Amino acid sequence: MLRLNQVVKQFAQPDGDVTVLNGANFHLPVGRSAALLGESGSGKSTLLHLIAGLDTPDSGDLTIDGRSSLTLHTNDWNRLRRDRLSLIFQQYHLVPTLTVLDNLQLQARLSHRLDTAFRDHLIDRLGLDGLTRRLPHQLSGGQQQRVAIARALLHRPALVLADEPTGNLDEDTSERVMGVLVDLVRETGSSLLMVTHSAHMAGFLDEQWRLQHGQLRRLSGA
Amino acid sequence: MAPATWPVTSAVRRVKAGFARLLRVLLTLLSHYRRHPLQTMFLLTGLVTGVALWSAVQVINAHARASYAEADQVLGAQASHWVRARQGQGISVDDYVQLRRQGWRSVYPILEQRLTTAEQGVISLIATDLLVLPADAATGDSGLAEGGWLQLATPPFEVWLPETLAQQLGVESGERLQLSSGRELPPARLFSREQQGLRAFMDIGAALTVLDQSRLSYLVVAELTVEDEARLNADLAELNPDLALVANQQRLDLNELTQSLHTQLSAMSLLSFAVGLFIVFNAVRFALTSRRHTLTTLRELGVSQRLLLAAIALETLVMSLVGTAGGLALGYGLSLLLLPSVAATLQNLYGAVLDHNLLLQPQTLIQAWLLTLAGLLLALAWPLWRLARQSIQSQRDEPADWQQDARARRRLLGFSMILAVLAVLLYFRLNSIVMGFTVLALILFAGAGLLPWSVALVLQGIQRVLPASAWRLNWACGDGLAQLGTLRTALMALLLALTANFGVDSLVDSFRTSLSDWLQQRLAADLFVQSDTLDIDALLAEPGDWLVESHRRNGLTVRWQDRPTQIRGLNTETSDTRALPLAAESDRASDWFDGAPDVIFANEQARYLAGIELGDRVQLPVEGQTVSFEVVGFYHDYGNPTYQFYLPHERVEALWSTAGEQGLGLWLSDDADALARAEAALTRAGARPGDWTRRDDVLAISLRVFDRTFAMTAAINALTFTVAGIALLASLLAIHQQRLPSYAHWRSMGVSGPEWLLIVGLPLGIGLLVTWLLSIPLGTLLAGLLIYDLNVLSFGWTMPLIWRFEPALTLFWLTLAVAGFTFAISALQVRLRLPQALKHLGEDAA
Repeated sequence: MLRLNQVVKQFAQPDGDVTVLNGANFHLPVGRSAALLGESGSGKSTLLHLIAGLDTPDSGDLTIDGRSSLTLHTNDWNRLRRDRLSLIFQQYHLVPTLTVLDNLQLQARLSHRLDTAFRDHLIDRLGLDGLTRRLPHQLSGGQQQRVAIARALLHRPALVLADEPTGNLDEDTSERVMGVLVDLVRETGSSLLMVTHSAHMAGFLDEQWRLQHGQLRRLSGA
Repeated sequence: MAPATWPVTSAVRRVKAGFARLLRVLLTLLSHYRRHPLQTMFLLTGLVTGVALWSAVQVINAHARASYAEADQVLGAQASHWVRARQGQGISVDDYVQLRRQGWRSVYPILEQRLTTAEQGVISLIATDLLVLPADAATGDSGLAEGGWLQLATPPFEVWLPETLAQQLGVESGERLQLSSGRELPPARLFSREQQGLRAFMDIGAALTVLDQSRLSYLVVAELTVEDEARLNADLAELNPDLALVANQQRLDLNELTQSLHTQLSAMSLLSFAVGLFIVFNAVRFALTSRRHTLTTLRELGVSQRLLLAAIALETLVMSLVGTAGGLALGYGLSLLLLPSVAATLQNLYGAVLDHNLLLQPQTLIQAWLLTLAGLLLALAWPLWRLARQSIQSQRDEPADWQQDARARRRLLGFSMILAVLAVLLYFRLNSIVMGFTVLALILFAGAGLLPWSVALVLQGIQRVLPASAWRLNWACGDGLAQLGTLRTALMALLLALTANFGVDSLVDSFRTSLSDWLQQRLAADLFVQSDTLDIDALLAEPGDWLVESHRRNGLTVRWQDRPTQIRGLNTETSDTRALPLAAESDRASDWFDGAPDVIFANEQARYLAGIELGDRVQLPVEGQTVSFEVVGFYHDYGNPTYQFYLPHERVEALWSTAGEQGLGLWLSDDADALARAEAALTRAGARPGDWTRRDDVLAISLRVFDRTFAMTAAINALTFTVAGIALLASLLAIHQQRLPSYAHWRSMGVSGPEWLLIVGLPLGIGLLVTWLLSIPLGTLLAGLLIYDLNVLSFGWTMPLIWRFEPALTLFWLTLAVAGFTFAISALQVRLRLPQALKHLGEDAA
């Protein structure tokens, strides 16, 4: 599903260039989930941005869903993100003026892949019954993140990229949200790459990787 | 340290520490503007553009008033008396010199002459003796020093030509103008005095020499006491019985006459300032919203509410100083651009002439600064009041603006209702121009307050009727509602500009149509003759078959209600008099046409400005006594600043021996060569080329003068619209800057460019459409108020409101163009900055 080959990314800083990825290699097969651990500033979010096509590597190649990043242009990335990828952030990024129902249907509608039966299933699984007519600011943080997860999965993406999805939630809520996310990703057959600080949350996923000194190292996993 | 001094030192130290804290907080607050140059630019743009137009008008108004004051002093147009020869043959230089020798220092000579150039151009020349002008004009007048009167009075002499006249004649500086008589004028200098108007100016000694004249046209006498008047009369009788002292009945108080025009200009410039203030309000709002976290952090760090407010007040002071300086600099430039239009208006309406040397007066600087400060405080008042009332925690947790906007919209609606009620109440007590403009401002701001609620109503209405499948449109409407709080000030500013434009356009349009119709009727004859040399009796004695009808007018100017008042004698039998349309008439109006001796028609100015009504009796001065007339009709008299009365020709002739010819109207036969034969007859009877004008030419000239007169309002309106355009641009750029993280997230979900355009552009389009639609009834109301009330109060003219859709349609296209342009710029900004925002996706809260 996802392969990184010798990916390099540097940032210019006032006191010289900083290399956050230095020939990083990584492979995530279809249907697998992986957690990406690392210290603050180690480049985890940068890696996620590169995979989502939000930023470009200085050298190296990424292959997503069988397509090399070297062959992808802006519009190809837009289509890929819309149809095959999903992003989940710590801050939920719900559209504040749309209802819960409209928010969770948004990406599926954009990609013309709205499956109402699956939508109802997700609403049920994520415990969003009775909340669909509300606006995001009328929900708790955990509820908002569950709406973001539903939105990310409704169009059955090939790859879900999550950046600290439970970073804003308390421990109990985090565990509940995480459990549902992993279950649903498995159910949809998607792959999942999740950036996290928490080894405990990383334990929910199939593989654990650490980003250190610009290199990715697999820690564990079957 | 002595024990007695240490408390003082401690107090000083405390003050110093307090000041240092204040400075630190101020620098922390100002750092926001360093990091957000766009917000800084728009804050200053609002202040600068608002102040600029206002100060430009103030500079012109102050300059005009100074000019009127000066015009009162010199050159005789505003003199209290004249000395004229009874037979009209002029005054000898010897008589003038003798009067001066007798101690009449306030008497000075004038030579006025019409000259024909070698190219058959006609110019008026006025000459006086600069050395004997009243002391304040001769010595304290920088204009004369600038002009260099020595060159004017010593050979080879100089003739001062106003630039416009020089251009008309094709004369350049230093060139000598050839006259048809073969003589040539001294070298030209392109320089003019206010009072000179469009006349050439020379020193009297030089003019007498160059033109080979020995007599003066008349003498001008400055202020005279009653005793002086009697003494001068006696001296004149002794010196030369042919000389008469004549009171200047035409003396105008320009300051009083032009007051309403200057008030209108000030009102228009204040509107522009208000529109500029909307930009400021928006910028301040953005600055405070963007700095909400900084302000809260400062409070959390122990900065007191009072210190924070003091720092913001200090920041306001700094901003107002910068804004005023920029605004005045731009305003001065603008005033130079606007001056020709204002000067044209003043000259066409009142005959007041302004020169082009503007001075920025200290009181204008202070007023501009106080206005800017007041504007900024007004813009800051609400956010600061809110800030001061909130606890630290509630500041941090304050919900997003859009969630509060529904409440703000309702508050604005309530405010707008209060303003509307006040406007209605005030309207029924309307009796002055200032009150009229207050009503107008209340209506404008009531409309502006109504706008956000109306836009929200439309967006919510659309959302309600949309089917579930139209989710993009639904999203767009929801997004529009959310952005309304940010966009509303710009839309309100645009509404003010659109309303003012439509209202004033309708006024000018109605006025132009009324004037044109009125001129068509009034200028019924084919040829109009105004000549000092024509022997009318000779012309009409043997008219020939080219003439169908003629109308000979006589008249004079008297002083009535302390204002110059024209008496005109009409032939009651001619077709134009018979068809005279009256704005109002009593049962006795027909008596006037039958030549009844005690009835009179008055112009509308006399009705509305002097307050006379049908049936009232007016007492007119008739050679030492007064004669009473009953007012039986009022007629339209557009463009005339003075009161005027119509009487039958014979009646004027019988009552006033000083009444003179006031022009002749000639109706020509349909023959192809009638015009040529009429011109030949006129020439034979003593008229000179240029003394007669064809009807179509008079019409064209009148309408051209009208267009020049109203060029100024168009210029101010265009500038106000530009300020509103800047307000819109500022808002859109600020909205897009603030929403970039959201746009980045939309893009990450796959929202395409066209979809983004729909979601962001559609509500903007709806907002603009509602704004434009609302501007139509508001503009019509404004036009009605201007035409039916303010115009009557200002000028005494009435006319019907002629409503046309075309100006509104033009404004629609203009709005579309401005909005399209500003949206394109802001969209380009998004396009350029989106890649960067995408890289930072997930770092900022949505």
